Amino acid sequence: MKPTLLLLAAASLAPSLAFAQTSDEEAALAAALAADTAEAAAPAPASNDASAGVKLDQAFILDVSAAAFDGERTEGGGHDPAGNGFTLQGLEWAVGSNIDSFFRIDANIVFTLEAIEFEEGYATTTALPLGLQARAGQFLSRFGRANPTHPHSWSFADTPIAVTKMLGEDGSRGLGAELSWLAPTPWYAMAYLSWQTPSDGCCNRAFATVDGPINDASDLYATGRLEQFFELTSDLGLNWGLSAQTGNAARADEETASAGTTTIVGSDLYLRFKPSDSTLRRATALTAEFMHRRRALPGRTLEDDAAYAQFVQVLSPAWEAGARYEWATGNESDPLDPDWTSDRTRASLQATYYPSHFSRLRLQLLADKLPWQTDTTLGGLLALEVIAGAHGAHAY
Amino acid sequence: MKLSHLVLALLLLLPLPASAAVKVVATLPSLAAIAREVGGADATVESMLPPNIDPHFADAKPSLVVTLSRADLLVENGLELEIGWLPALVLQSRNAKLAQGANGRFDASTVVRRLEVPRGAVDRAQGDVHPGGNPHFLYDPRAAAAVARALATRLAAIDPTHAAGYQSRAAAMATELESFGRAQTAAFAALPAANRAVVTYHRSLIYLCDWLGLTSPISVEPRPGVAPNPAHVAKVLAQLKTLPKRVILQEEFYPTSTTSTLARLGSATLISIEGGTRFDKGKRYIDHLRAISAPILAALSR
Repeated sequence: MKPTLLLLAAASLAPSLAFAQTSDEEAALAAALAADTAEAAAPAPASNDASAGVKLDQAFILDVSAAAFDGERTEGGGHDPAGNGFTLQGLEWAVGSNIDSFFRIDANIVFTLEAIEFEEGYATTTALPLGLQARAGQFLSRFGRANPTHPHSWSFADTPIAVTKMLGEDGSRGLGAELSWLAPTPWYAMAYLSWQTPSDGCCNRAFATVDGPINDASDLYATGRLEQFFELTSDLGLNWGLSAQTGNAARADEETASAGTTTIVGSDLYLRFKPSDSTLRRATALTAEFMHRRRALPGRTLEDDAAYAQFVQVLSPAWEAGARYEWATGNESDPLDPDWTSDRTRASLQATYYPSHFSRLRLQLLADKLPWQTDTTLGGLLALEVIAGAHGAHAY
Repeated sequence: MKLSHLVLALLLLLPLPASAAVKVVATLPSLAAIAREVGGADATVESMLPPNIDPHFADAKPSLVVTLSRADLLVENGLELEIGWLPALVLQSRNAKLAQGANGRFDASTVVRRLEVPRGAVDRAQGDVHPGGNPHFLYDPRAAAAVARALATRLAAIDPTHAAGYQSRAAAMATELESFGRAQTAAFAALPAANRAVVTYHRSLIYLCDWLGLTSPISVEPRPGVAPNPAHVAKVLAQLKTLPKRVILQEEFYPTSTTSTLARLGSATLISIEGGTRFDKGKRYIDHLRAISAPILAALSR
């Protein structure tokens, strides 16, 4: 680091107090701090109830559904209704707590009938200067609008095709670290940058996974995102995100030549109108998300696109309705989706009833035009979600 | 890098001098109005919510992250009233001054007398019950007086230079509120006891009833946060008809179809309660209380 940069960094971190002390006072304070630090380092008395009084927020969120399709099951998400009949989409255990004045912890562990899935578990800093914040652990990558969210904050009972095709059946997540920066602008502008190990199987399907320790930094995938929010009026807000991901491309099992790079770029918009004078808490939300993926495979480059747009109307505290249209392109000889050779489109309608703030029943109808089938598949989903405990606030 | 650029960069990064006004951000407009009166010219105050929004269900707008990131002091209601939107905003603001337990975080509920503190475990089958007690104490001037005094102490700790100003303004405000509160209590006490029963919509008006000596034998919501159902509304109507003075109190952000019908069928007066101080219109907190108590007294005195 250049000396000027070091000087700048040191100056920005130094408390203002230091500039007001004489050298004698500084020496006395330094000696007192050293003495206190030594005392504080002494082992604390043993306690059988160390957690007494510590606030640990936790919740259980159960998602269970029934589904019927008139053809092949069309859902691609790891926690989507699995086919005709009943599905335990997941029992999510969400916990979170402040650790000390520097960190907090959050974890989401999902139980299914077959497995226990460690979806997320990360520590977040709370006291870094200059608008910075860091996360470390296993977490959903901040790519786009849908990927970093869990099913209970979705407006539909299944995962968007854009997420399952371009990122993975459980989206994009991995073990790694993230740095984010709240820009000192008059409006909300947040930049994220992370490096993560691609998770095998569930996620990051377009990136090469590594068994065991990584060889070098290029085995990680990087995600960047810039998110901005514009308060157009007190009732109307627009959130706009730009995302990009890059890493080593996944290649077909039978291929031995090394692959190049996978790059995914995307943009998402969220427009929300919530009139403050609506006693029925009415709100209208329009979400649109687009992704473009480019993979350099041995001897060829594959490119594809996916997008969705959805409209959700909150009619009252008890009722909500929505519509979604999705589209995704395909390629000939794509090792990830060999049958997906042309465009796929899906249209969905949903109506949701909330008996209370902690339970909901959602009916969803869909029409899916699959590239590998001549007829459109029709389906119906009925999804129940119940929440017990103190679940944290949702993002905008 | 030129020397002049280096000096400029250093100046930009240095902490601001302590003479700047304390930046206070309050979650609710009534808390903002109290803070503005206590802070005077020594503080700038912003409210995160407008007055006509139900604070249980506010949006966690990202613009509020920016507001919080620049705050020296966050004044919150507490008792989990803001739990659905505030914690994520504070975390994203990455403002260490606002950490729980820090001087920059003021939880007003810690300095007031709490009502309806549940005994034993809380069960959601009881409705949206707050485990620490009913959080709607800002309808009681006695609670607000306690908040003003405690807030002055906190502001003085953050900005000792202006401590005397904070303390004197808070003392004046508390005295005015307590005097107004006593006068209103006496005015309502002068009514016949049977006239001091009202129907409320949500269990959010118990502090108001406690202050004014009113009783609320039944609420339109069967349980806190649970929408009224036909069987319960029929029970409410029957109860309403037994009251000598038929008055329904409802905060402005709740739906009025049911209560309007109840008022029509029961020949009752429906009074809309201001959800919060019109802070954005420059109103004082005591104006908010006057706007609430005057129509109730008039309706019960007829």
